[in-house]
Amino acid sequence: MPKLTIDGRSVEVPKGTTIIQAARQLGTDVPHYCWHPGLSIAGNCRICLVEVEGMPTLQIACNTQCSDNMVVRTASDKAKRGRADVMELLLINHPLDCPICDQAGECKLQEYSFRIGNDRSRFDFPKVHKPKHVKFSDKVMFDAERCILCTRCVRFMDEIAKSDELDISNRGDRNEISVKRGGELESPYQMNIIDVCPVGALTSQDFRFKSRVWFLESTHTVCSGCSRGCNVTAGARWNKMLRLIPRENAAVNKWWMCDEGRLTYTDVAAADRLGAPMVRKDGRLVEVSWDEALAAAAKGLAAAGDDLFALISARLTNEEIWLASKLCDALGTPHRDTKPRAFGKDDLLRTGDGNPNSAGARILGVAPGKGGAGLANFASQNLAGAALFGEDLDDRPEAIAALQKLAFVLVVDSRESETMRKAAHVVLPGLTAYEKDGSFTNVTGRVQRIAPCVRSPGDAWPDWKILGWLVAGNDRGARPKTCAEVFARMAAAVPEFSGMTHGMLGTAGLDVRSAAPAQGSV
Amino acid sequence: MAYVKVKRRELTLSERFYLPVIAGMGTTLKHMLQMGGTSRVTMEYPEQKWALPDRYRGAPVLVKDQQGREKCVSCSLCEYVCPPRAISIVPGEIEGPVEKGPQVFDIDMLRCIFCGYCEEVCPEQAIFMSEEYELCGSSREEMVHHKDRL
Repeated sequence: MPKLTIDGRSVEVPKGTTIIQAARQLGTDVPHYCWHPGLSIAGNCRICLVEVEGMPTLQIACNTQCSDNMVVRTASDKAKRGRADVMELLLINHPLDCPICDQAGECKLQEYSFRIGNDRSRFDFPKVHKPKHVKFSDKVMFDAERCILCTRCVRFMDEIAKSDELDISNRGDRNEISVKRGGELESPYQMNIIDVCPVGALTSQDFRFKSRVWFLESTHTVCSGCSRGCNVTAGARWNKMLRLIPRENAAVNKWWMCDEGRLTYTDVAAADRLGAPMVRKDGRLVEVSWDEALAAAAKGLAAAGDDLFALISARLTNEEIWLASKLCDALGTPHRDTKPRAFGKDDLLRTGDGNPNSAGARILGVAPGKGGAGLANFASQNLAGAALFGEDLDDRPEAIAALQKLAFVLVVDSRESETMRKAAHVVLPGLTAYEKDGSFTNVTGRVQRIAPCVRSPGDAWPDWKILGWLVAGNDRGARPKTCAEVFARMAAAVPEFSGMTHGMLGTAGLDVRSAAPAQGSV
Repeated sequence: MAYVKVKRRELTLSERFYLPVIAGMGTTLKHMLQMGGTSRVTMEYPEQKWALPDRYRGAPVLVKDQQGREKCVSCSLCEYVCPPRAISIVPGEIEGPVEKGPQVFDIDMLRCIFCGYCEEVCPEQAIFMSEEYELCGSSREEMVHHKDRL
C-alpha cells in the first residue's frame, strides 16, 4: 500500500492506483478530459498535469501510478502554468461557437478555460476547418471542429458497447473521429458517447437546440424503460421533460444507460393523456368529479367482490402495487396478474423486461392465486368485473371483447386507450413514472426512488393516491397523504422492505432484505 | 404608549379671513395672463419631439447582418440575463453555415425595464436598444413584440 502526499495531505492507496484516483479520494479534482472512471486510460489530452517531486517534468495524473513517499502538487504554479499551456493548445483550432453549442454550460472546455486557461488566444493564423454538423446517426450529431480527440467515444464503443464503430481517421491536424466503414452508428448504447464527450463534439439530436442546459430543472429519478432501473437525471423546462441522462450508480448502471430508455420520457407529453375522471353514462364516458368517480369505482369493485379480475401493472411503483394487492385482499379475489412487456435485451444493461417493477410485483405477490385466473384465461372464467391498474389491453382485441361482457370495468391509467373507450365503466386518470413519487424494485432486487420531474396534467392524481383512497374507502383517516407514508406502511408489512424509508433509499437505493435476491428477467 | 398633544399655532387675523388664499389666486391669474407668451416651459409633445441623448435606451430590437441573415443565434443569454424575464426564445435549427436561429423571439414590453443588459450580454451583437420610446397598445398581447416587430 503506497503512502503518498497530495497537496500536503497524505493518503494511502492500493498498489496500482493512479494519482488522479488518489486525489479523488481526497476530494481533489484534477482537471481531466480523456480520463473517465469507467474507461481505459488513454493519457492523450494532457490537461491533468501535476508536479511530482523528484521528477524532471510535469506528469499526467491519470496515468502515473502512486508510489511510496511520492509528493504530488496538483495546484502549484508550475502545474497550473503547464495546464494553461495545454488549454491554449487545445483551443487553437476550437471554433468558439459556444452560443450555438448545446454543450455550453456543461462543457469541460468552458469550465477549465474559465478556471485555468487564458482569456485570449495568441494564435492569429487561420484556424483549421473540419466538417461540422455531421450526422453520425439519427441520434448523434458530430462536430469535428469542437472535438479535442480525447477518444473517450472511441473507447466507450470498444470497451463498453463492444461494437468498434468509431475510430480516428486522417493524420496530424486533420485528425478526426469517424464512423468506421463510412456507415451510421448502430449500437443501442451510442447516445452514451454524447455524455462521455467532454466537449460539444458529440451532441444529441433529440435534445438538439431544445434548451440551454442552465435553464433545465434537474430531478434525480430512475428510468422506467426496463427492469434494470438505470439511475437518471431528468431535465425539464416549461413543465416539459426534455431529456434523460444517466446518473452514476455503481450498483446498477455505472455511468451508462441505453438509447431506448433515454427516450422513455416522451410518453409524458403524449397527446392522449387523461386529465379528468370519467364515468360511463348512457353508453358514453362523461367527465365527472373525483368524488363521484371514486364512489362509482368503490361501488363497482364491491359488487364484483371475489369475482374481480385485477390486472396490476408492473410499471406501477412498489407502493401502488402493494395498495392494489391490499385492495384485492379486501375483496378476496385471487384473480390477479401483471402483463408482460418486451424490451431490448443484451449483456450490458437491457434486461428484455419492459416492466420497471417486475421484481416488486413478484415480491408483493401479484400472480394468480389459488384457483385464480390470470391474463391468459380470465375471459373463460365466469367473472363479474375487472380492474386495470396502469395497463390497457389494446394489443389483445379478444381480451377487450371479454371485458365488454363484464358488468363492471375500472381503468386506472395515464393515457387513453381502446380498452378504456370500449370497455371501461369508470376511468381514473393516473400519472406516468416521471410525474409521481414512489419506488421501483429492479431486476437485481434494488429498491430505488423515483421522483416527479414535471407537474401532472389536468386533474390527474398519482396512482398511489387513487389506490390509497380506494383502499381506505369511507375511512377518511386512512387515506394516505404522501407516498412516503404508503411506503412506511408497506415496509412495516412486507419483510423484503422492512426497516426501509423513502429517505433511506436516497438517490442510490437499497437492496431488498432477503437472502435470495429476486431472479433475473421474466 | 403615551401620546403628546401637539399645540397648534393660533391663526392670525388675516389667515382667519382667508386673505392668503386670495394672494395665491393672484399668482394663478398672473400665469394665466402670460399664456401664449414667451415664458412657456411645456414641450408641445407629440408635435414637438425630444432630442434623444446618444446612449438612450428604447425598445430592444434584433438586427440582421449584411447578407440579411438574422444575427441572433438564440444562445438565450439575453433570456437568462433579463432581470424582469421579458424575453422568451424558442431556438431552432436553420439552414446555412450557422446551425441555429430563433424560431420564436418574444419580448414582453410590459415587462421590459429598458436596462440594456440584453444588448450588453449578446455575444453576436444581434440585439440593440433602439430609440423607439413610443410604445403603446390596446391589449397585453399587443405589447409583446414578436420577431417580425423586433
